[in-house]
Amino acid sequence: MTLSASDLAIDLKTQALANARRHGSDGDALTDLEAASFPERKTERWKYTSLKALADGHLNAVANGEISQPLPALSEFVVTINNGQLQGSSLPAGVNLHHDAPVVNGLQTPFAAYNGAVCGQPVVLEVAANTRIEQPIHLQIQSASEAPAHCNPRVIVKLNAGAEATVIEHYHAEGQALTNAVTALITADNATLTHYRLQGEQANTLHIGTLIIDQQGVSKVDSYQLMTGNRLRRNDVRALVNKSGAELNMKGIFVVRDKSHVDNQLCVEHAVPNCQSDQNFRGLAGESGKAVFNGRIHIHPFASGTNAELSNKNLLLNPGAEINTKPELEIYNDDVKCAHGTTVGQLDAGQQFYLQSRGIPAAEAKRMLSLGFVNELLMALPDAAVTEWAQPWLEAELTHASPAGDAA
Amino acid sequence: MLEIRDLHATVADKPILKGLNLTIKPGEVHAIMGPNGSGKSTLANVLAGRDNYAITGGEALFEGKSLAELEPEERAQAGLFLAFQYPVEIPGVSNMEFLKAALESVRTAQGKEEWDSVTLLRQARAACKQVNLDASFLKRGVNEGFSGGEKKRNEIMQMLLMEPKLALLDETDSGLDIDALQTVAKGVNSLRSPERGIVLVTHYQRLLDYIVPDFVHVLSNGQIIKSGGKELALELEKKGYGWLTGEEESA
Ligand SMILES: Nc1ncnc2c1ncn2[C@@H]1O[C@H](COP(=O)(O)OP(=O)(O)O)[C@@H](O)[C@H]1O
Ligand SMILES: [Mg+2]
Repeated sequence: MTLSASDLAIDLKTQALANARRHGSDGDALTDLEAASFPERKTERWKYTSLKALADGHLNAVANGEISQPLPALSEFVVTINNGQLQGSSLPAGVNLHHDAPVVNGLQTPFAAYNGAVCGQPVVLEVAANTRIEQPIHLQIQSASEAPAHCNPRVIVKLNAGAEATVIEHYHAEGQALTNAVTALITADNATLTHYRLQGEQANTLHIGTLIIDQQGVSKVDSYQLMTGNRLRRNDVRALVNKSGAELNMKGIFVVRDKSHVDNQLCVEHAVPNCQSDQNFRGLAGESGKAVFNGRIHIHPFASGTNAELSNKNLLLNPGAEINTKPELEIYNDDVKCAHGTTVGQLDAGQQFYLQSRGIPAAEAKRMLSLGFVNELLMALPDAAVTEWAQPWLEAELTHASPAGDAA
Repeated sequence: MLEIRDLHATVADKPILKGLNLTIKPGEVHAIMGPNGSGKSTLANVLAGRDNYAITGGEALFEGKSLAELEPEERAQAGLFLAFQYPVEIPGVSNMEFLKAALESVRTAQGKEEWDSVTLLRQARAACKQVNLDASFLKRGVNEGFSGGEKKRNEIMQMLLMEPKLALLDETDSGLDIDALQTVAKGVNSLRSPERGIVLVTHYQRLLDYIVPDFVHVLSNGQIIKSGGKELALELEKKGYGWLTGEEESA
């Protein structure tokens, strides 16, 4: 017997609350969770993402498997969080790791509320004022569980005034783990943050994550979000561009193959005048892969002089794949610039013929064109260590042989 | 090496080639001339195997094998090369990466020794030099942002590396200034050999001053209506096509 979506929503909430109480959660965190409602089929923001995979009982157990294929270190400085627990760290002078977490603004989803109620020890990385950290900090966030189970990593990166740093937020998961993550990036005046979010968890894992970018000061944030699909990947990304003169750039690539799924819900909140934001994402879907991109730009009444852009171009590799992309503009001020464009296309037959006419087999030609489609963004990554890791990763994803019977 | 018999072909279901005959033997250089829209590019694309270009009658045999049964890549692997009239731009795929994939596939299929990356780079640079293309073009996206003339030279550069048995050049001369034309002609002439066939599709006889053909054919309304030696090109230059096609035409 299958559970209806609303029964499942009730079950999830009951389980989440029970876990939170057992955990000893109280105060605002528990209140927030009590107030949250888990999505049902008709919930607009979740209409492309079914939670029925969670009926397997991920919330009933805590992930505690061995990480059999841990991530390679992409920097001298590494912080490792396994199954939601801090495992170890090596950090440069000027970066302080502690657990005294500030309140995270802008959280909205029930899963983020649940994370807040049960995550024992948030990892806070605080970069000292007027300090430039040369090497990237590689945050390895790993989960593993053979049976359905979950974990709740919570990371807060705080750049104090005038700080400059690069943070690689890197996920890896094995088996049937659900990673229910919350990450917040908080920047003070004159801070400069380069952020990567690399999500390449294994096919049967689940990821429900919230990323908050809270630009409390006049700061610059460049965020690169690269991901492949898995059984369920849901990213709620919310940027609060909250001080005049702040600048935010988000670029991303998502690739879904076979039956994998990615749902990106981005929202940039412009609440004050004269800020800039840019979102530039490219998506690729093959076989029965499903991808969703919802890019919301919310310009509040006082936010005159806002310059906000959004672009999402997508490539469908075959008719069975699906991409739903939508810009969502809510603009309450006339004195703004706002450009947006989304497209879903197919591989160009003329380009493909050109490659084949030079002896390149059809499948290889497709792979080259797919990679070419995302290459511009890939080549724009400022850190060579990340490019070196990401390029073969995405290349393998684009090369992978499709299961028999599927059109390649 | 190429034997075309009573070839009928459609483009997007529209009949364009209407009973075309042509035989090309190793070592020969043929020029195909004809008015705009007569079907020259259609012939080239049908031979290369483009989608939407369908053979509806007759046959085209390359070294005894029916081209209709081969995928475009198999035709290239068999030694057929088409220099396109309008080469497409492929942003994000570098010229070098493209050449590497093409040469690996074609050389392997032809049983030639594999080129390691150092050899490949050396050969590619030499080929660029031969057509007066700066080696920096190897790093750029395939044809991306190239001028018309650069695209044509890029085609010839690829041809030099691929060493095809049969090369079809579709209006490689159009859009080239006289210096570029001579460079391209030199490149093509360097490939002339007793084993190789070359077909020059052109609108003007100018190219034929530099690459002297053994045979000239006039294609009109999907058929070859006249064949001759190189002097036919000069005659066409003087008189236009009207006297052959029966239509008014200023070449
Ligand atoms: N993709 C196409 N769809 C429909 N008609 C086409 C297409 N390509 C070419 N044609 C038509 O086929 C005819 C021959 O064109 P083409 O072979 O390009 O001539 P040429 O190269 O001799 O100038 C023209 O009438 C042209 O309009
Ligand atoms: Mg033509």
